[in-house]
Amino acid sequence: MLASLFDASVWTALIAAAVAAVASILFLRTRNFLYDSLALSATETGLVLIAAGIVAGAIAGHAGAGLWWTWDARVTTALVGFLLYAPYLMLRGAIEEPTRRAASAAVVSIFAIFDLPVIALAVNWWLARRAAPVSVDASWMILPLALLGAGFTWIRLRQEQRRRARDAERRTAQEI
Amino acid sequence: MSAVAVEGVWKYYGDYPALRDISLEAAEGTCLALIGRNGAGKTTLLRAIAGFSTAQRGKIRICGKEPREAETRSRLGFIGHGISVYDELSALENLTLFGKLYGLADPKKSANEWLERTGLERVRNGLVREFSRGMRQRLAVARAFLHEPSVMLLDEPFTALDDRAIAVLQRLLREALAAGKTIVMSTHQLKEALELASHVALLNRGQLAFHGARTQEMVDDPGYVYARYGEGA
Amino acid sequence: MKYLRQVATIAVKDVRAELRTKEAINASLAFALMILLLFSYTFNPAQEMMREVSGGLLWIVFAFAGTLTLNRSFARELPNDCLDALIAAPIPGSALFLGKCFASFVLVLAVELVSLPVFGIFYNVHWTAQLPALFGVLLLGTWALTVIGTIFSALTVNIKLREVMLPMLTYPILMPALMAAMRLTTLLVTGQPIADDDMAWLKMLIGFDVIFTAVSLALVETVLVG
Repeated sequence: MLASLFDASVWTALIAAAVAAVASILFLRTRNFLYDSLALSATETGLVLIAAGIVAGAIAGHAGAGLWWTWDARVTTALVGFLLYAPYLMLRGAIEEPTRRAASAAVVSIFAIFDLPVIALAVNWWLARRAAPVSVDASWMILPLALLGAGFTWIRLRQEQRRRARDAERRTAQEI
Repeated sequence: MSAVAVEGVWKYYGDYPALRDISLEAAEGTCLALIGRNGAGKTTLLRAIAGFSTAQRGKIRICGKEPREAETRSRLGFIGHGISVYDELSALENLTLFGKLYGLADPKKSANEWLERTGLERVRNGLVREFSRGMRQRLAVARAFLHEPSVMLLDEPFTALDDRAIAVLQRLLREALAAGKTIVMSTHQLKEALELASHVALLNRGQLAFHGARTQEMVDDPGYVYARYGEGA
Repeated sequence: MKYLRQVATIAVKDVRAELRTKEAINASLAFALMILLLFSYTFNPAQEMMREVSGGLLWIVFAFAGTLTLNRSFARELPNDCLDALIAAPIPGSALFLGKCFASFVLVLAVELVSLPVFGIFYNVHWTAQLPALFGVLLLGTWALTVIGTIFSALTVNIKLREVMLPMLTYPILMPALMAAMRLTTLLVTGQPIADDDMAWLKMLIGFDVIFTAVSLALVETVLVG
C-alpha cells in the first residue's frame, strides 16, 4: 500500500512540476502574475507530495528490507527531486521585489524541469544495479492524488491572489 | 520624431504602480530637467527609458527605436548613482574596455582623448581605487561621454560632485547641447540643472504634475515649480 | 567576429581584474588544499579503497572550491554599479554571459590543475596514466560547473543571502554532471580507460553541457534585465 502511495505521489509530483514549468514559461511570456502564483502553488503542492512519497517509500523499504534507507533508485531520485525544488521556495523568500522574484523563480523552475529527466537517468544508472525495483501497480491511486493535489494548488492559488491584492493595497496606503 | 518619447507608461512593482500613465517627449537638442521629491519615480523613469527595466504598459522610444536594441544602446549614455568603473583597473584600462564594448574604431585613442578632456591624463595608469572622489566622478563622466552618445540620461549627476567635477560636467553638457545632443537629467540640484535645461518635468508620486518649457520664473526661483504644481499647490 | 571579440573583451577584463586582487583564486586554492588535507584524516591514503573514492573526492574539492570563484563572477560587478554599465553597453546578454563563463572556466581550471598534483602527492595516486582522457573529463565537468554557476551567479547577484543561495541552487542541478564526472574521473585517475559501460556517463556529461548551455543562453536576457 505504501509502495503504491510512493509511486503515485511521485507521478503526481511530476505532473505538478510540469504544471509549474509551463506556468513559469507563460509568466515570462505574458508577465501575468496569475501564472506566477500558479507556478508557486504547483511547486509547493509537488514538494508536499514528494516529501510524503519519500516518507512512504522509506517506510515501505523498512518494512521490506529492515533498512530505513534502501538506496532504491526511485526513492533516491525522489529525494534529489525534492532538493532540486526546495531552493525555489528559498529563492522566493530572498527576493522582495515581486516582478524580479517571479522572473527569477520562473528561470529556476525551467532549469529544474530540464534537469529532472537527467537526474532520473543518472540515479537509475547509479543505483539500479543494487536492488531490482519492485513493480507496483499504483495507477488507481494517481487520479485521487492528482485531484487532491489540484485542490491544494487551487486553494493556495486563491490565497496567493488575496495576498497580492493586500500587498498592493498596503503599498498604496504607505504613500499617504 | 523626438529623441526621447514616453507614451502612457505604467511601471509596477508587483501590483503597486511606481509610474502612472507618464507621457512626455524630449526633442533633439533639448535638455529636460526631471524634478520631484524622493520616491516620486525619477530614477524609476530614467532607468525605464535607459532600458534597465521594462514598463508593463506604454511605449518608450529613443529616436524611434526601443531602448534595448543594439543601435539605441550605442547612442545612449547613462550616468547613474554609481560611477560604473572598475576599482581594480586603471583609468585608461577602464575607458579602453568601454571603448571596445561600444565598438569604437580606436578605443585606446578615444580613451586618451577623454582622459584629457576630463583632466585625468596624468593619472591615466593609476588604479581607480586610489583616486579621490572627484577624480572618480570625472572618470564616470568620461565613461558616459566616451562613445559620443546622442542621448544622455543622467540620474542626479551633480549630487556629491566636487567643484571641479561639477565644472567639467557642466562644460561637457553645454558642449553636447550645442552639438545637438539630447539630455534628460533628474536632479535635486535645481540651480545647476535649471541653468542648462530648456524644459522641465515634475514628477509627483509616479505621476507627471507638470511638463513644459523652462521659464524665467523657474530660473529666478528654483522652488517655483514645486510651489506652483507640486503637492500643496 | 565582432561577437567573439566582445566575448573576449569581457573574459579578459574579468581575468585581469581577478589576477590584480587574487581574492577569489586565493580563497579557492586554500579551500581546495584544506579539503584535501582534511579528507586524508578520514581516509588512510595507503588503503586500496582510496582509489574508489578518488573521483568523488576530487570533484567535491573542485565543486566547492569552484563555487567561491563562481560567486564572484557577477558579484564583482556590484561595487560602483558596473553591472548597469555592462547591461547598457551594446553587447548581447549572451556575449556578457559567455565572456564571464570563459573567465570563470579558466580560473576554476587553474585551481583544479594545482589540486590534482597535490592530490597525487597526498594520496600517493599516479594519476597521469590516462592524461588526455582525464583532461577531457576535467574540461567537460568544469564547463558544466561554470555554466550553471555563472547563470545562477547572475540570478542571485542582487538578492540577500547570495552566498547561501548560489550553492543551494547550483549543486542539485549539477548532480548528474557531478556524478558522471566523479565516475569517469575515478576510472581515469586509477589508470583505467573508459569502457563501454561507462561511455554512457561520458555521453551524459556532454549532453548535460549542451542542454544547459543552450537553456542558459535562452534565458540569459531574462536573468539580466528581468
